[in-house]
Amino acid sequence: MSGIEAVRKIVETEAQAKRIVEEAESRAQEILASASEEARKVRQASTTEAEQRKVQMLRETREKAEADARNSDVETDSLLENYKKLFENRKDAAAEKAVELILGS
Amino acid sequence: MAESLEKLHNRILSDAKLKAAGIVEQAEDKSKQILDEAQAQAERDANDIISRASLEAESIRRSILSSRIRANRLRILDEKNKIVQSVLKSVEKSLSNIVSSDQFESTLKRFVAEAVEAVGTVNALVKIGFRNADKKSLQSLGQSLPKGTKLLAEETAIDDLGGVVASDPEGKMIFNNSFRARLERLDNELLTTISSTIFGE
Repeated sequence: MSGIEAVRKIVETEAQAKRIVEEAESRAQEILASASEEARKVRQASTTEAEQRKVQMLRETREKAEADARNSDVETDSLLENYKKLFENRKDAAAEKAVELILGS
Repeated sequence: MAESLEKLHNRILSDAKLKAAGIVEQAEDKSKQILDEAQAQAERDANDIISRASLEAESIRRSILSSRIRANRLRILDEKNKIVQSVLKSVEKSLSNIVSSDQFESTLKRFVAEAVEAVGTVNALVKIGFRNADKKSLQSLGQSLPKGTKLLAEETAIDDLGGVVASDPEGKMIFNNSFRARLERLDNELLTTISSTIFGE
């Protein structure tokens, strides 16, 4: 092998080595880009799921609170109805006691 | 020479492959780190969203419930007040008609005695006025009054419901023992009595 051929072969080998490294760098860029995209998707999925849970939580809370409020209305209606009955049954006794109190007898 | 050239060729390629493997391995490590950090950050973001949602939910719950409960408490208080006021009206009616009851004479004497004692003078002036009262029967009470006490029977009911007002001769010391005045003085006890009788509280 002549000296020129030897130099040519070394140059070719160096070029091949450079391509190997460049391909690896390109592959590394792809890996990192893919990882970044995957990370973005992970965060997006997590946020979306949390937002859905939030919407559900707020809806359930509102429904429960409105149901409790309706129960409060029903209980109050029942209480007021009971007051009316108590008033009808006890108004004379109450007035009599009050009159006694005023008369001081 | 050919042999050493071949060795050099192999070494160059071997070094390049080693370097390439390192670059890829480093990228993979970095990739894993990126994903781990993203996972952790996603978890923190989700926890933050849920945490804020919990506060918002509690605020919504309070807003809905507190306004309704407040409104219902007001309805209850309003109804109780109406009932108590209704009883008080009935009490006022009974008091204004006391002349026709058998309690009238004893009540009148007691009211007069209390008023005279409160004024604390021997020459007290006692005004008496009840609805539908016979003026002569009122004046007959004068016989049972302490000596020096002057009785004045009014044509109309004192303070609208009737009662007794005593004063010293100069009118500086006055004790109002009308039903209206007694209602006002006994206001708290009246409310307690009526509430406890009606509502059992």
